[in-house]
Amino acid sequence: MTVLSLPVPGAVVTPPPLAAAPSFDLDRVLASIDTMAAQKPVAAQIVSVANSDDTSARVLADILAADVALASRVMKLANSAYFGMRGRVTSLQFAVTVVGFTTVRTMATVALTDLDDESRLPPDFWAGTTSVALAASLLAPRFGERPQDTLCLGLLAQVGVALLHHNDPGGYRELLAQEPAFAGRRAAEVRRYGISGTRLTSVALEQWGFPHSMVGPLAAVDDRTSTDGALLRAAFELAARLTQPGYQPVDVEQLTDGLLREDAVGPVLEQVAQDADELRRAMLDG
Amino acid sequence: MTAVPTAIADARVAPEIVSSVFYGAAVSNSLALLVAEMSGDVPRITWGNEGAMHLLGYALEDLRDLPVASLLPSLRGGELKLLLRRERTARMSLPVRTASGVFTECVVLCTPTPTGRMWNLRVVSADNEQERALRATADAHERRFATLTERSPIPTLLSEQGMRLAHVNDAFCRLVGQQSEQLLGTGWMACIHPDDLDHVIEQVAVVLGGGDGEAHARLLQDDGGERRTVIRFAHLFTPGVGAGFVGTIEDITERLAFEARLAHQANHDPLTGLPNRTLLAGHVAERFVRGETGLACLFLDLDDFKVVNDSLGHAAGDELLVEVAGRLRAVVRPGDLVARFGGDEFVVVCEDVDEDDAVTLAQRIGAVLAEPVRLGGVDVRPHASVGVTVQADEHTCAEDLIRDCDIAMYQAKNGGRGRITVLDHQARAEARDKLRLVADLRDAIENREITLLYQPILGTADGVSTAVEALARWEHADRGPISPVAFVPLAEESGLIGPLGALVLDETCRQLAEWDRLLGTDAPLRANVNVSALQLDDNLHALVVAALDRHALSPARLSIEITESALMKDPAAARCVLQRLRDLGVQLAIDDFGTGYSSLAHLRHLPVDCLKVDRTFVAELAEGHTEITTAVIALAGSLGLSTVAEGVETAELADQLTRMGATYLQGFGLARPMTGAGAAAWFAQRAAPRPPAVPPAPEETLP
Repeated sequence: MTVLSLPVPGAVVTPPPLAAAPSFDLDRVLASIDTMAAQKPVAAQIVSVANSDDTSARVLADILAADVALASRVMKLANSAYFGMRGRVTSLQFAVTVVGFTTVRTMATVALTDLDDESRLPPDFWAGTTSVALAASLLAPRFGERPQDTLCLGLLAQVGVALLHHNDPGGYRELLAQEPAFAGRRAAEVRRYGISGTRLTSVALEQWGFPHSMVGPLAAVDDRTSTDGALLRAAFELAARLTQPGYQPVDVEQLTDGLLREDAVGPVLEQVAQDADELRRAMLDG
Repeated sequence: MTAVPTAIADARVAPEIVSSVFYGAAVSNSLALLVAEMSGDVPRITWGNEGAMHLLGYALEDLRDLPVASLLPSLRGGELKLLLRRERTARMSLPVRTASGVFTECVVLCTPTPTGRMWNLRVVSADNEQERALRATADAHERRFATLTERSPIPTLLSEQGMRLAHVNDAFCRLVGQQSEQLLGTGWMACIHPDDLDHVIEQVAVVLGGGDGEAHARLLQDDGGERRTVIRFAHLFTPGVGAGFVGTIEDITERLAFEARLAHQANHDPLTGLPNRTLLAGHVAERFVRGETGLACLFLDLDDFKVVNDSLGHAAGDELLVEVAGRLRAVVRPGDLVARFGGDEFVVVCEDVDEDDAVTLAQRIGAVLAEPVRLGGVDVRPHASVGVTVQADEHTCAEDLIRDCDIAMYQAKNGGRGRITVLDHQARAEARDKLRLVADLRDAIENREITLLYQPILGTADGVSTAVEALARWEHADRGPISPVAFVPLAEESGLIGPLGALVLDETCRQLAEWDRLLGTDAPLRANVNVSALQLDDNLHALVVAALDRHALSPARLSIEITESALMKDPAAARCVLQRLRDLGVQLAIDDFGTGYSSLAHLRHLPVDCLKVDRTFVAELAEGHTEITTAVIALAGSLGLSTVAEGVETAELADQLTRMGATYLQGFGLARPMTGAGAAAWFAQRAAPRPPAVPPAPEETLP
């Protein structure tokens, strides 16, 4: 196991107290990405077909109907305040149309990776994740991205974190306690596991055939020279401000190479705070 | 999902085939293949095919021993492991550094050999020309669309998913006075009036399902304003993404306001601003439920309004109407309707009242109206006659209710000024009966069921009849014969006198023409036709000319009889009309002379030929009172006019009138009114010494 310590711009500078996880095997973690599919075939099938150009809402709904829990989550999300449809979504096919194929695929991925089981996740995982997702979605137009895609990107950004936590629960909790902020934590993850959670996410998403538009920003989130990762960096920053007590804000203008200014952040934070809990409930409760 | 690689060593595959496949792969120019192997702790390239050399720009010698990391610098640190997996294939999109140092985006598929120390890398450039062209085309389309919507003056929305907007243009931002950031996502929903939002969402649901939709919605503006709009939605589908919509907004605020103004004008009286008759009818109809009660109408007619108009001028009259309208509005309960029915008539409609409530309201109105109003320096106390009707079982429709309160108002009016009358049932029955009779009369005229009888007029000098008077008769199918004394005034009141007069004139001319054909020179020379006072206008001349022309008769064949009272209504106008008829050659007679208090000065100037002595004066002769008849005959004589004595019932009367100098006689005792055929027979018989041209008719009797 090669363990490297990469400098992460924007991260809180701390000494590296954590040793590399002695029992951590990245290959095994990567292999588990494949084996998950066998355990949740419906979710795996949706992940596989959802981004095909010839996929229709009917096809997706037909597959989705076989997984009652997932189907009911999609229905719930479609009727949530986030999509503004006020309970008018009464069929699964229409729900798929309303939330969009990428979102259905994202929800299937959440199910596939057991992200819907909070007991197996790091503390406050979903509070952070929904904040990242909503912030990414609200900021998307400023970065020339589709809000819905960036919402999904934000929802899945921490799949890698969950995988790391699955494989090293004790170690990860210790890591999280020392580095609660996203950026610092990613640096600590690289030190301990040789790879950050978001990078691991990008590998997993790429393996599952997610488009480069979602994989690229995850791989580039810590590369301050890359504009690809700027939106996600800003989303993590906003989520940290909302969810991590005592967090010292970093100027978003620096994080985004001037694409986002601090004076635009306030209304976004307000909106995220307002919608995060609703989105979390829609994503998790069956 | 990735597949677990299987061993390629297959004993069943002949070495020649393996060799052939390898050769094909080695020289392929379109397929870039590399083989990497662990050299110490560093994976290095050990082999590349023609395609790889072409893609990366390296010679085979330069590729050999090249660290894989130097080709894939984005895989920093330990990340190379993510690609070079031990047991599984891996697929990554990443930039590959070529020999010139330029990066090219590639998809790299990596398959490990079973040893786990050697990997087969297939590199596919993601940056080929065709894809670039496709991307450029798609980008150009996107830019065109963005430019189109951005610069369009039509407010436009673009949804990405459900009600969530991905884009709003400047025109929409201007319309609602907000920044696009505030509107994206579901933010725009706050701009839709809460009462309209459900409908908008329903339409969006239809559109997301594949249809088209349209919603009328009020949009709330940042400054508290409100715009009325039509939002038209069109379905949008993006493959692999899902459904959204494009919404275009038409601001119809001004148009609706204009329409509302027009509608208001159509339904309101411009002088008082009150609802007019049209709105009244709709208002009552909306509230009228047959069999229920509680709906009341009060019909008000201002007393002596004409006096105000005539004495103080129309401006003062208008001022009074505006004042009355204001007082009525102020005195009724909230929710009651005050309408101007027309002229000086107003109607108040109230709900949930009984007769006592309605009368109390009428009294309150009367009291408020009676307050003095100063018009042209004069204090006027307006009074109104008020008819009150509360809906009852006999009312079958809203019109019944309004009609009944109108009838009640007339009852009030007949009772004297400032009265309030609740509709009397007997009066309603009579009024309705009259309405039915008017309808029947209209039908009778249209169907030419009004028939004419002709009574000969005989000369006193020779006892010969040369003229007849046409007398209209109506035989009602249910009621039997109806006297002209009843139906002529009815026709005058209901606007049917014109058609009735035209019918009589035309039928008389037709009959004259027919007599001419049957009797030749023995036919009556002239027919007298009665004309109502209401017909005495500019149209009469044209009507007479048309009837004469239609039947090819000379004007001298007609004599128009007009009552003395009709002439005295507007003597100057009457004289003008009569003069035109006289100029035409038509003869003119004054009917019922002596009953109308006509001015002798006027009489002298009227272009008439004959005076008809009223039958009441003729009847007095039998009682020895000869004064008036004598005077009338003498007057006619001195003015050079002939006379016709009406109502001559006996031979004695005929003798007496002849002696008194009457020119003509007409009466039951001389000849009864007859049908056209009867008259033909009568004239034929009297034309001695020739035999009659037509058989004698049975003797006619007066109705």
